[in-house]
Amino acid sequence: MSGTILENLSGRKLSILVGSLLLCQVLCFLLGGLYAPVPAGHTNVLGSLCRENHARQNDTSFFLYSRGEGSCTQVTREEVEQDSMKLANQIVHVFQMPLPRDSRVLDYSRWQQNLIGVLQVEFGYDSSSELREPPKELQLTIDMRLAYRNKGDPDHAWKLYAHGVEHRYLDCVAAHIGSSETLYTCDMIPLFELGALHHSFYLLNLRFPLDTPKQMNLQFGHMHDLTLTAIHQNGGFTHVWLMLKTLLFPFVVGIMVWFWRRVHLLQRSPALLEYMLLYLGGALTFLNLPLEYLSLTIEMPYMLLLSDIRQGIFYAMLLSFWLVFAGEHMLIQDSHNKSTIRSRYWKHLSAVVVGCISLFVFDISERGVQLRNPFYSIWTTPLGAKVAMSFILLAGVSAAVYFLFLCYMISKVFKNIGDKRTSLPSMSQARRLHYEGLIYRFKFLMLATLLCAALTVTGFIMGQMAEGQWKWNDDVEIQLTSAFLTGVYGMWNIYIFALLILYAPSHKQWPTMHHSDETTQSNENIVASAASEEIEFSNLPSDSNPSEISSLTSFTRKVAFE
Amino acid sequence: MDISYIFVISLMLALCSSQAESKQKSGRGRGSMWWGIAKVGEPNNMSPITTGIMYMDPAIHSTLRRKQRRLVRDNPGVLGALVKGANLAISECQHQFRNRRWNCSTRNFLRGKNLFGKIVDRGCRETGFIYAITSAAVTHSIARACSEGTIESCTCDYSHQSRSPQANHQAGSVAGVRDWEWGGCSDNIGFGFKFSREFVDTGERGRNLREKMNLHNNEAGRAHVQAEMRQECKCHGMSGSCTVKTCWMRLANFRVIGDNLKARFDGATRVQVSNSLRQSANAVAVVSPNAAMGSNSNGGSNGLLQSAVSVYEEEERMLNDHMPDLLLDNTHLSSKIHHPNMPSPNSLPMAGARSRNGRRQGRKHNRYHFQLNPHNPEHKPPGSKDIVYLEPSPSFCEKNLRHGILGTHGRQCNETSLGVDGCGLMCCGRGYRRDEVIVVERCACTFHWCCEVKCKLCRTKKVIYTCL
Repeated sequence: MSGTILENLSGRKLSILVGSLLLCQVLCFLLGGLYAPVPAGHTNVLGSLCRENHARQNDTSFFLYSRGEGSCTQVTREEVEQDSMKLANQIVHVFQMPLPRDSRVLDYSRWQQNLIGVLQVEFGYDSSSELREPPKELQLTIDMRLAYRNKGDPDHAWKLYAHGVEHRYLDCVAAHIGSSETLYTCDMIPLFELGALHHSFYLLNLRFPLDTPKQMNLQFGHMHDLTLTAIHQNGGFTHVWLMLKTLLFPFVVGIMVWFWRRVHLLQRSPALLEYMLLYLGGALTFLNLPLEYLSLTIEMPYMLLLSDIRQGIFYAMLLSFWLVFAGEHMLIQDSHNKSTIRSRYWKHLSAVVVGCISLFVFDISERGVQLRNPFYSIWTTPLGAKVAMSFILLAGVSAAVYFLFLCYMISKVFKNIGDKRTSLPSMSQARRLHYEGLIYRFKFLMLATLLCAALTVTGFIMGQMAEGQWKWNDDVEIQLTSAFLTGVYGMWNIYIFALLILYAPSHKQWPTMHHSDETTQSNENIVASAASEEIEFSNLPSDSNPSEISSLTSFTRKVAFE
Repeated sequence: MDISYIFVISLMLALCSSQAESKQKSGRGRGSMWWGIAKVGEPNNMSPITTGIMYMDPAIHSTLRRKQRRLVRDNPGVLGALVKGANLAISECQHQFRNRRWNCSTRNFLRGKNLFGKIVDRGCRETGFIYAITSAAVTHSIARACSEGTIESCTCDYSHQSRSPQANHQAGSVAGVRDWEWGGCSDNIGFGFKFSREFVDTGERGRNLREKMNLHNNEAGRAHVQAEMRQECKCHGMSGSCTVKTCWMRLANFRVIGDNLKARFDGATRVQVSNSLRQSANAVAVVSPNAAMGSNSNGGSNGLLQSAVSVYEEEERMLNDHMPDLLLDNTHLSSKIHHPNMPSPNSLPMAGARSRNGRRQGRKHNRYHFQLNPHNPEHKPPGSKDIVYLEPSPSFCEKNLRHGILGTHGRQCNETSLGVDGCGLMCCGRGYRRDEVIVVERCACTFHWCCEVKCKLCRTKKVIYTCL
C-alpha cells in the first residue's frame, strides 16, 4: 500500500484542490463581511423612576413597568432632587426592554439568542452630607427582579424570571466637583446574562435598599442616572452563522466517512495520526452541529455554556493534533511499538489538558452558575475576580508552554529534514527529486497551518483595531467583526477538510510495487523508482514498523537511523 | 451714467436692508420663542404632565413655530422631552450663574414674550450662553427620552447595506421590525442631534450676523454634548473573551456639559461684521476672507460662494464636521470612517420630509457653514465649541426693564468672597444687609428596609447677606 494522498497527488490536482478550498475560504469571509450584520446589537435603556408600592414590596409576582397599560406612576428627576431625602427607599428603577423605535413596539426574537445586561451607575454626594468621597471598595446592594412577557400577553402579565439580592463593587471617578454636589461616574457592572432569549419582552426592577442596621448602601449619596445596556446577538448574524454550520456539517461528516472507509480498506490497523484526524473531525462535527435551531422552540439557557464547551473541545483537539503531528514526524524511533497517546504523548499534551481544564472550571463557575442565577458573575467580588483571573492566568501559562513546546518540536522536525537535505546531492536524480517533493509538501502543510494561525491572529487584531466596518468603496462596506468570525470558522473547517483529504491513505499503486518483497512498506514505493539504491532501504528495522502513515515519516525515520 | 445708476441702486439696497434690520430688531431672537415651552403645563402644575393636556395648552401655539409644531405632532412624546429639556437648560443656567450678577432669571416671563426676557434681544455673551445651553439641553433630553422609551418615533437607523433581500421588498413597518431582528438598532444619541437641529435651529436662517451667532452657539451647545460622550465596550465572546466586543456611546451628565459651556462662556469670542463684506446688499457679512483658518477648513470658500459648491460635497462636509459617524454607528466607534449610508439630518419622521429633494437639503445645510471673524483681529477665530457674541454685556447692576435687566437688588452675596459672588461686586458698591436666619433641616437619618426613614430635625443658624 502506498502513502497518503498528499504525496501521490500531482501538482496540478493539488493546486486545483487548494485553489478551490481557498475560494471557499474567501466566500466564508465575504459571507460574514458583506451579508451578515455585526454579531451583536445593543439597547441602551435609561432607568425610569417608579414610586414604590410598599404594600407589595416583597411580592415577587408584582412588577412595576413604565410603558403600556397600567404602568406605574413615574417620578421625575426634579421631584427626587427637591426631596430632602432624595426619596430614599421609595423609588424603583425600571428598565423595560426592548425600546420602541420608529413608532412601533419592538420585541425580542428568538433568533437573537442571548441577552447580556450591564449597568452604568451615576451617583452624587450632597455637600451637606458628611460623605464627600466614595470609599475604596464601594459595595452596592441591589435587589434585582427580572420578569418576562410574551407577545400577545396583556400589558400587566409580567412573570418572574429571576430574583436576587446581589452585591456589586463599584469603581468610580468624579465627573463634576461642585460646591453643592459632587458627581461620580462608575465603570459598568455586569448585571445579568441570559443564555436563552426565549421571551418577547423583558423587564428589570432594581431597588437599592437603604438600611442603617445592616449598613446597606449607606455609602452612596443618591442615585442619578442608571443606564442599562442590553446586548443581544443579532438575528441576521444568527441566520448567517446557522447557515454556515448547516452547510459545513454534511461536508465534514461526509469526508470523515470517506476517510474512515479508506483507512479500513487497508490491511493494517489505523495509525495514531489517522485516529487523531478522525477525533479532530469528530470535534469539528460536534461544533458544526446546528443545535441552535432547537433554541428557536425550546428554551435552552445552557446554550452559552454549551457553545463554549464545544469550541473548547474543538480547540483542544486541534492543539493536540498539531503536537501529535509534529511528534509523528520526529524520526526518533525508540520503540517498535505502535505509538499511542498514552505511550508517547501524555507528557506533551499535559499543557493542553491543564489549560483546557482551567478554562472549563472558569466557565463552569461563571456561566454554569448563571444557569441557576442569571445575576451571578464571578467578577463581581474581589475574591471571585482573583480566582477567575488565576484560572485564566493558568490557562494562559499552559498555552504559552504549549506553544513553546510545539515550536521546539517543529524546529526539530525541520532540523532533521535539513540534515537529510545535505545528504540529498549524493542520491540519485530520481530519488532526490522525490524527496524534495516530499519535503516541499510537508512544508506546504506546515505553512498552511501557520497561515491559518496567522490569519486568525491578524483577523482578531484587525477586528479589534478597526472596530466595526471597513469601507471598500462607497457602496461596499465590510463588517470586519462578522467577517472575522465567519472567516475563521470557515477556515478551520476547510483546514480540517483538507487534512482529512490529503492525509487519507492513497490507493494509488506505484508501478514497481510488486518488485518489493515486503508489501506494506510505503517507503518502498517511493524509492522504487530508484531501483539501484533499493538495497540501501530494504533492510532497515524501521520498515517493519506497521504504524507508519506516510512515506515521509518512514523516510525521516530512516534518516535518523542512518 | 452707469456709475451713478449703480450708486443709486446700492444706496437704495443699503437703505432697505437697514430698514429691514430695524424692523427685525424686536424679533431678533426669532428662533428662540420655543423656550417658553418650559412653562407649558405649569400654571395648573399638572404632574405628571400628560401629553393630552399639553397639546391643549395655548402656550404651544404662541411659542412654537409652524415647523416646530409639526415636529411635535409627528413625534408623539417629544413634547414632554422638550419641556424637560427647556427646564433642564433653565435650571442648569441658573446653577451655573447663581453667583453672577445676571443669574439667568426667568422670573418676569410673560406669555408671548421671550422666556429669558429682553436680554435675548442683545447679542451679548449671556444670550450666546442661553442659546448654547438650550440647544444642548434639547439634544441631551431627546436622546435621554429615547433611551427611556418615552418617544416612540426614535429612529432605528442602523444602515443595513446588506440586509436580507426580503426586507428590502417589504412594506415599511414590517421592514422596520425585520431591521431590528436582523441587525439591531443604533444608539439613540443620533436622533437627539438630528432633532435638535431640526427643532432648535428653525427660524435661524443664518441670513444676518445675529442669526449666524445664534446658529453658531446652537451648534456649539450640541458639540459639547457630543464631546462629552464616552465610549463603553463590553466583551462577550467565547468565555467572555474579546473575540466579540460591543461598544456604545454614553451621554454625560448634563451638569458636566453645563460646566464646559460655562468655561466657554468665560472665554467667549466677540465676533464682528467683516468690513469687506458689509457693502453687500443682503448684509450676510459674517464671512471672513480667510475662512480656511477655522476648524471647518473649507478651502477658502465662504458663505457667499457656497451656492457654487456642489450640494453633495457640501452635505457630506457638513455631516463630517458636525455629525461624526460615531453618533450613528451601531455598535462600533469608527470616527475616521465616513459612512455613506448615514441618514441625513433631515430624516426625522415628519410628514413630507422624505419628499424633499437633495437640492433643498443641500441648501439647508449651507447655513451651518460659515466662519465668524473675531472682533479683535489678533484673536483666534472661534472654534466649533466656542461661544460667540456680538456686543459687550451690560453691567446688570441696576434694574432696567427696557433692556430686560432685573438688577442685583435683593440678591444674596458672599461676604468673604472677592469674586463676582462677593458682596462688593455683586451689589455694585451699593452695600448689603446682614440677616440671621434659623434653618430647620432633617439630619442624622436612619433607614430601615423596608421602608422607613427616621430623621431628627436640626436647627442651624445661618447668616445671609443681601444686596441693597
